[in-house]
Amino acid sequence: MNIVETSGLSKTYRSGLFKRSIVHALTEVSLSVRKGEIFGLLGPNGAGKTTFVKILLSIVHPTQGEATVAGEKLGSPSIRERSGYLPENHRYPAFLTGLQTLIFFGSLNGMRGKALADRAHQLLELVGLQDWKKVKIKRYSKGMLQRLGLAQALLNDPDLLFLDEPTDGVDPVGRKEIRDLLTSLRNQDKTIFLNSHLLSEVEMISDRVAILNKGKVLKIGTIAELTSKQIEYELLLDRSLDDSIIEKLRPHLLSLNVEGKKLVIAVETNVELNTSIDILRSKGILIESMAQKRTTLEDSFIDLIQREATS
Amino acid sequence: MILLTIREAVLRGTLVFYFAVGNIIILFLAYALDVSPENPSMITFFGNPILPKNIGDTNPVDFVLIQLQRSSASSILLFGVFAVAGLIPSMLEKGTVELYLSKPLSRTTLLLSRAVGASAGVALNLIYFAVGIWLVFGIKLSIWHGGFLLSFLFVCIAFLFYFSIVTFVGIVTKSAGFSIMFAFVYTFFSSALESRTKFLYQIWNNDIYRTTLDVLYYITPQLSAMLDNSSRVIGKMPFPPEQLAQTFDILPFVYSLLSSAAIYALASYQFAKQDF
Repeated sequence: MNIVETSGLSKTYRSGLFKRSIVHALTEVSLSVRKGEIFGLLGPNGAGKTTFVKILLSIVHPTQGEATVAGEKLGSPSIRERSGYLPENHRYPAFLTGLQTLIFFGSLNGMRGKALADRAHQLLELVGLQDWKKVKIKRYSKGMLQRLGLAQALLNDPDLLFLDEPTDGVDPVGRKEIRDLLTSLRNQDKTIFLNSHLLSEVEMISDRVAILNKGKVLKIGTIAELTSKQIEYELLLDRSLDDSIIEKLRPHLLSLNVEGKKLVIAVETNVELNTSIDILRSKGILIESMAQKRTTLEDSFIDLIQREATS
Repeated sequence: MILLTIREAVLRGTLVFYFAVGNIIILFLAYALDVSPENPSMITFFGNPILPKNIGDTNPVDFVLIQLQRSSASSILLFGVFAVAGLIPSMLEKGTVELYLSKPLSRTTLLLSRAVGASAGVALNLIYFAVGIWLVFGIKLSIWHGGFLLSFLFVCIAFLFYFSIVTFVGIVTKSAGFSIMFAFVYTFFSSALESRTKFLYQIWNNDIYRTTLDVLYYITPQLSAMLDNSSRVIGKMPFPPEQLAQTFDILPFVYSLLSSAAIYALASYQFAKQDF
């Protein structure tokens, strides 16, 4: 079951004199997020990730296209009743303490009294801020503010959590704790929509990801689907290859890169790898070492972005 | 949201400063004012009777209270705008507005709560000052003048109407500085419109120009007229401007209620349209 469904969502910003300056922040974005998954939205700065989330929460109005969140059309207040949002670079009233901040934002969620106070205390403990609850947040570090932001987003026990750069400014131990928390939320059948440019983190916890660039979706899939299309090998040879051997190898390979005695090849299956080795051996070339290069999400991401740039 | 806005207004420090100044004025008046031993309806200032001249049939006590109310109400109102005009743009700052808008509240509710909270911050200052002065007159001079307190209630209402202009400018420009500047310009503009027949009409003898001034007068909150009329709750005005009556007139409040409701509606519409 999909909890988020968008179809042809576009956003164009107009600015300047007579609104002649046009920026296409999103162009016909169609994607779906399944209930109970961690969905990562990746993209370089300015790709449109934040705009996309803001449209889903009616903070930004789409220029065209449609979307439903939890079965409700965009603009419905019940979307915000069932969602939690941690914006990027959020700013809380600095004169409040951590506890007062949660009580205030909880009251905006329609929560009241003891239930709200209990929930605020519980969340402060969950994010490791129980000892800081009575301290004014102007004294909080960036990482502590991020934890408080996460607690704020969880106040109404949302079915769908939108997190924009949730680990920004958080130390490695804190990042691990946040990842564990998100994994445990997923196990409770919560859906998490994660905006981030920290690819390694997204790779660790996301079930599926979409790569967004210049407002367009370049690819959607599981981490495995995005990273396993090609297998790369690095071979160290006893000598440099001449052009005739390179031309014989090329038809069997997805990509080929020669740096002196080092040969980096990408193949679709092991059959092409063995064919390549046979060609090398038939030319009397000795293979001194061979190592498989794992394609990370970052490699795929950069490859996609670069291909998009050159096209 | 209203309580948080009041708290934010207080913590900005400006309102606290006005509160402190208000206390000093109350204490000063408590020390300086007294009633004449010979004539109990005569108020003295450091022992010297205050002898207002040419006040017609206005009661001398009413006259003193009217002068006190007019000067304090307009000062607190003007400085109050300075203290809270930034509250609307501060709600729209990046990183803050997203947090508010992600909650299940309508944008209209958010905006009006903010405006009411800002007005309530100023109203608290006004009421505190009014009650202080009222107690000084009551306890020390045995003059318990209910009209004086009531007049400040009208000033608070006038501020809420007046703040609609600041709210609208804050939403459109998102700038605290511009909101404050516009509020001050509007204050003088409102006063000029109030007495348009005496001055502005004389600048250009043209029907369209005069009609435009009349339209502007009725479609914007009539701050100057509201303040004048709030004083009239205390007693008969000693020196009314030519075109105004001596006694309280509710119409400026009614016109201002309608125009400020329209301006708040316009601000809400503008806020609802905006992307953040």
